[in-house]
Amino acid sequence: MKRKKTKNRGSGLAFLLAVVLAATAISGCGRETQTETDLSESGKTFVFGDTTFNAENGEADINPHNGNGGWACIRYGVGETLFRFSDSMETEPWLAESWENLDELTWQITLREGISFTSGRALDAEAVKECLEDLVENHVRAAGDLQIAEIMAEGRTLTIRTETPVPALTGFLADPYACIFDVEAGVSEEGIVQGTGPYRAVSLTTDQELRLVKNENYWNGEPKLDGITIRTISDGDTLTMALQSGEIDGAYGVPYASYPLFENENYTFSGCATSRVFFGAMNFKSGITSDPAVRQAIAMGIDKEGFVETLLGGNGYVAAGAFPDSFSFGGGAVRAASYDPEGAREVLEEAGWRDTDGDGVREKDGTPLVLRWLTYPSRQELPLLAEAAQATLEDIGFQMEINSTADHNRIRADETAWDIYVSAMVTAPTGDPEYFFKYHCLDSSSSNDGQYHSDRLEELAGELAQTFDTDRRAELAVEMQQVILDDNAYVFCSHLRMNMITKSTVTGLTAHPCDYYEITAELDMEG
Amino acid sequence: MRTQKKRKLLCFAGLALLLLAVALLAEQLSPYDPNQQNYEMALQAPSMAHPFGTDRYGRDMLSRVLAGARISIFSALAVVLASSVLGTGVGILCGYAGKVLDTVLMRIADVCLAFPGLVFALAIAALLNGGTISAVIALTAVSWPKYARLSRGQTLAVRQEDYIAAARLSGDSTLQILVRHVLPGIGSQILVTAMLDVGTMMMELAALSFLGLGARPPAAEWGSMMSGGRSMLQTRPWVVLTPGIGIFVTVAVFNLLGDALRDYLE
Amino acid sequence: MKRYLIKRLLLLVPVLFGITFLSFAMMYLAGSDAVLQQMDATGLALSREALNAQRASLGLDKPFLVQYVTWLGRFLTGDMGTSYVSGEEVFSVFLSKLPATLELAAVSMILTLLISLPLGILAAVRQNKWSDYLIRFASFTGNSLPNFFVALVLMYLLSIRVPLFPVIADGTGWKSVVLPSLTLAVAMSAKYLRQIRAAVLEELGKDYVTGARARGIRFSVTLWKSVLRSCLVPILTLMTLSAGSLLGGTAIVESIFLWDGVGKMAVDAISMRDYPVIQAYVVWMALIYVLVNLVMDVLYQVLDPRIRLGGEKA
Repeated sequence: MKRKKTKNRGSGLAFLLAVVLAATAISGCGRETQTETDLSESGKTFVFGDTTFNAENGEADINPHNGNGGWACIRYGVGETLFRFSDSMETEPWLAESWENLDELTWQITLREGISFTSGRALDAEAVKECLEDLVENHVRAAGDLQIAEIMAEGRTLTIRTETPVPALTGFLADPYACIFDVEAGVSEEGIVQGTGPYRAVSLTTDQELRLVKNENYWNGEPKLDGITIRTISDGDTLTMALQSGEIDGAYGVPYASYPLFENENYTFSGCATSRVFFGAMNFKSGITSDPAVRQAIAMGIDKEGFVETLLGGNGYVAAGAFPDSFSFGGGAVRAASYDPEGAREVLEEAGWRDTDGDGVREKDGTPLVLRWLTYPSRQELPLLAEAAQATLEDIGFQMEINSTADHNRIRADETAWDIYVSAMVTAPTGDPEYFFKYHCLDSSSSNDGQYHSDRLEELAGELAQTFDTDRRAELAVEMQQVILDDNAYVFCSHLRMNMITKSTVTGLTAHPCDYYEITAELDMEG
Repeated sequence: MRTQKKRKLLCFAGLALLLLAVALLAEQLSPYDPNQQNYEMALQAPSMAHPFGTDRYGRDMLSRVLAGARISIFSALAVVLASSVLGTGVGILCGYAGKVLDTVLMRIADVCLAFPGLVFALAIAALLNGGTISAVIALTAVSWPKYARLSRGQTLAVRQEDYIAAARLSGDSTLQILVRHVLPGIGSQILVTAMLDVGTMMMELAALSFLGLGARPPAAEWGSMMSGGRSMLQTRPWVVLTPGIGIFVTVAVFNLLGDALRDYLE
Repeated sequence: MKRYLIKRLLLLVPVLFGITFLSFAMMYLAGSDAVLQQMDATGLALSREALNAQRASLGLDKPFLVQYVTWLGRFLTGDMGTSYVSGEEVFSVFLSKLPATLELAAVSMILTLLISLPLGILAAVRQNKWSDYLIRFASFTGNSLPNFFVALVLMYLLSIRVPLFPVIADGTGWKSVVLPSLTLAVAMSAKYLRQIRAAVLEELGKDYVTGARARGIRFSVTLWKSVLRSCLVPILTLMTLSAGSLLGGTAIVESIFLWDGVGKMAVDAISMRDYPVIQAYVVWMALIYVLVNLVMDVLYQVLDPRIRLGGEKA
C-alpha cells in the first residue's frame, strides 16, 4: 500500500515536470499564429465583436445540441430552424413550408424544396428527423419541452407525435437549439456543424473567434459578403475601443455609457426590446414581504422611469408585466403599480408600519422595515437597479440592504436569507408565454424560491397547458400576469433593449425582438 | 544631515496625518450627502456647485471622493496592519523557536503565498456576504507570509547578537526576550515595508473591485468608483479621474513617508 | 547541490497537497456551482430535474471530500479531467494558454528593465535635480494607477488617438504584445526604478566613488561597472518576485486585451466554478512558487557566496 502511494506521488511529480518541459518547448517554438483558412483576405470580410459568444454563456461552440451553442449557430447565420419568429414574435415557417395539426398530438410539417446543407447533403425529412432525435437525446432542455414520442420521415414530409399535447411546439422548434444541421456530417472537433444558413463556419476557437465564409448555394438569396469573423470580446470597454479603432465593423454589448461616442454619422444603431426582463420576486416566507402592504409599497416605491431614462440612458423600456410590447400579450396589456412614493407611504402607514423612534426607518410590532435585496453583478444593469431602488425605497421608510453576489443561487434557496430577489431572465425564449410561468411562478416551478402560491394562477396555468388557440393563449397570459401583479408577487422593472452598433458603411444588420437573428444574407458592407 | 532627514520625515508624517484627518472628518467636510441621488443632476461636469462633477445617479463626486477616503485609506491600512502584526508574530516565533513549529508554520506560509489570492477573495466574499471586510481579510490572508519571512530572517540574525544571550543569562523569559529585545531589533525594517505596502494594498483593493469583489453599494470606495465608471473615461472623464486623484495622493504620501522613514532610520 | 535540489523539489509535495485541498475547500465554501453559474449567464431557467441531471453528470452531487479525493486520484495518475464548462480537456486547454502568458511575462519584463534601468540610474546620478524629481513623480504616478485604468488610457492614447497598436491583442504580430506588456511595465517600472535609484545612490555614496568624483574623474568604465553591479541584487530579487506573479497570469490585463493566457482562464474558471480548470491553475501556481524560490536562492548564492545554500544569511 505504502509503496503504491509513493509511486503515485512520483508520477504526479513527473507529470508536473512534463508540464514545464512541454510548456517550454511550445513557447520555444513561438506562439502558434491563427490557423489560416481558405478565407481569402482580399474578399469582403465583416468583423463582428460580441460580448456574449463565450463558454460562460454556454456558447463554447456552435453545436446547437451542446449547451446554448444554438444561439451562436443561429445568430451568426450558420443554422436555421424549421420555424422562425416574426417581428411581432409569432411563429412562421422557415425551413418548413407549411404545417398542420392532424390531432392534438400529431404535427405534420412539410419542408421547403431545394435546400441543402453546407455539407452538400439535401435537406429532407430524414435529415431533420436524425437531427431532432440527436437533439432530444443530448440537449438538457429539449426533451422536456418537445415531449417527442415518435418522428416519421417521408420525402419532404415530417410527422411528429408528442407524448402529451404541446401547443407551443412550433415555438420550441424555433428555439436556437432546434437549428437543423447535418448529423451525418457530424460535429467537428472544434464544434462546427454544417447547417443551411447563408454562411458556413470554417474555424472556431472557444472564447476567441469564429470564422465564416459565404455559403455559395444558399437557398434564400445570395449572401453579400465573402467572409465574416466573429470575435469574442468579453470586456465592454475593449469592445468599444475596438469599434472606435476600426478593428471591428460591428459590435454587440457596448456599455451604455459609451453610446455617446457612436451617436454620429459614422455609426449606425439597431436596437429593439427583448423579452429579457429585470424583475424582483418577493419572498412569501419572509416576515417583511409576506405582508401585502409591504409588497405593494415596494411596487409603488421603485422609480422605473428614472432608472430607464437616467441610469440606462434610455436604453431600456419600462416594464409593466413579464413581456415587452412586441408581444400581443405584453407591454400595456396589463396594469402595474406606477411610481408613487406618497401613495406608498400611505399604504405602509395604514398597515401599521410607522416610524415611531424617528430614525427614518419604519417599524411594526418592534420589527424594523429592513428589506434584504438579493441580486448579482454579472448583468451590468442589476447593481444599478439596486442602488436606484435603494434611494427611493429608503425615502419612503425602508432600510435596504443590498447583497449583490455571484452566490445568489445558493442564497435564494434559503428562504430566511432574503426578502426580494432581483434577476434578469428571458421570459419568452420561444415567443410563448407558458415558459415564464412554468419556470418561475407555479408550485412546481424550479425558480419559485419565494414560494409564491395562487390558486387562480395554478388553475389558469392548467388551462394554458391545454390550449392550442393562439388568441386564447394570449388572453390567458394577460390574465395570469394580472394575477401575479395584483398580488404584487413580482415587480417588473424594465426590459432590456438589445443594441448592435455598426460602422455606417454596414447595412442589413437588424436587431430582432427574440435576439436570435443577427447575420443574414442581407448583411452587406461598402468598400 | 540628520536634522534634514528628520524634517523631511516630519513633513511627510504630517501629510499622512492630514490625509487621515480628512478621511475621519469626511462627513463634516462633504458639501453634500454622498449617497443622495438626484437624477436631474446626473453626470454634470465639474462646476462651482459640484467641483468634481456628479456621477450617473446625480451624486456629488467631491462628497463621494471624501467619503471614499475613509473606506479606501482605512481598509488599506487595515490590511497592512493585520498582515504585518500577524506575519511578524509568526515570523519571530518561527525564527526564535525553530524546529517543528518553524517547519509547520513556514509550510503554511508557503501554501498561502503560492495560493492565488483571487480564489481566496472570492470564497471569503461569499462566506461574509462580500463587501470591503471580505476584501481586507482575503488580502491579509495572502500578504502576511511576506512579513513572516522578513521577520523570521531578521530574528535569526538578531538571535545571534550578544545582547540576546545576555538577556537570556539574566533570566528573562522567552516572551520577554521576544518583546523587549527581538521586536525592537527588527521593527524598523517592518515599519518601512509596511508604509510602502499601503500603496500596494490600495492597488490590490482596486483590482478586487474591478473583479466585483470590492465595496458594497452605495458605499463609496475609490477602486470601485474607478472601475464602475471606467466606461465613461472618454465621455465623462471626471467620474473616473477624481477617485484616481485620491488614490494617487494617498499612494504618493505613504510611499514618500516610507522612504523618509528608511532614510531617517539608516 | 543535487541533494539540495531534490530536497527543495520535494517541498512541492506538501505545498501541492495543501494548495489543492485549500482551493477545493474554498470553492466549495464559495457556494454555487458550474451548472447554476451557467444558468445565470444565459438567463434561461432550467427545471429541477435538468439541474440535478447536469450536476450528477459532473459529479457535483457528491460530498465535498469525495469530489476532492476523486480529483486527486485522477491527478496523481496524470489526468487533469475535462472542463465543466467547455467540456475540453483541461491539460490541453492549459497548455494552449501557457505560451501567451510566457510571452507576455517575458516581454513586459524586458520592457520594464529598458525603462527602469536607465531612468533609475539617471535619477540617482542627478539626485535632487529637476530630472530626478520628474522621474520620481512619474514613478509615483505609475505606482498609483490601477492597471485596468492604465490599460484603458494606453488603449485610448495609442490605439485611438494615435493608431499605432491594435486594441485586440490576439498575439498575431509583434505589435499586439506592446500595449498589454506596456500596461504591466508601467507599474513594475515604477517599483524597479525606486529600488535601482536607491541601490545606485548607496554605491555612489561609497568612499572610493566620492573620492574619484572629488578628484574630478567623471564616470569611468569601472565606475559604470560597479554601479551596474550594485543594481544587480535588488533587480534580481524584484525579477524573481515579478516572475512569480507574471507567470501566474495577469487576469485583468489579459481580459482587457483579450490576451488568451492562463490568468484570464483562471478568472473565468473561478467565476464559473469550473473546478478542474481552477485546480490546474492552482497546481501551476504551486509549481511556479517552488521553482521561482529555488531559482532565487541559487542565484543569490552565485552572486554572493556569503549566503549559504539552504540556509539563511550566515
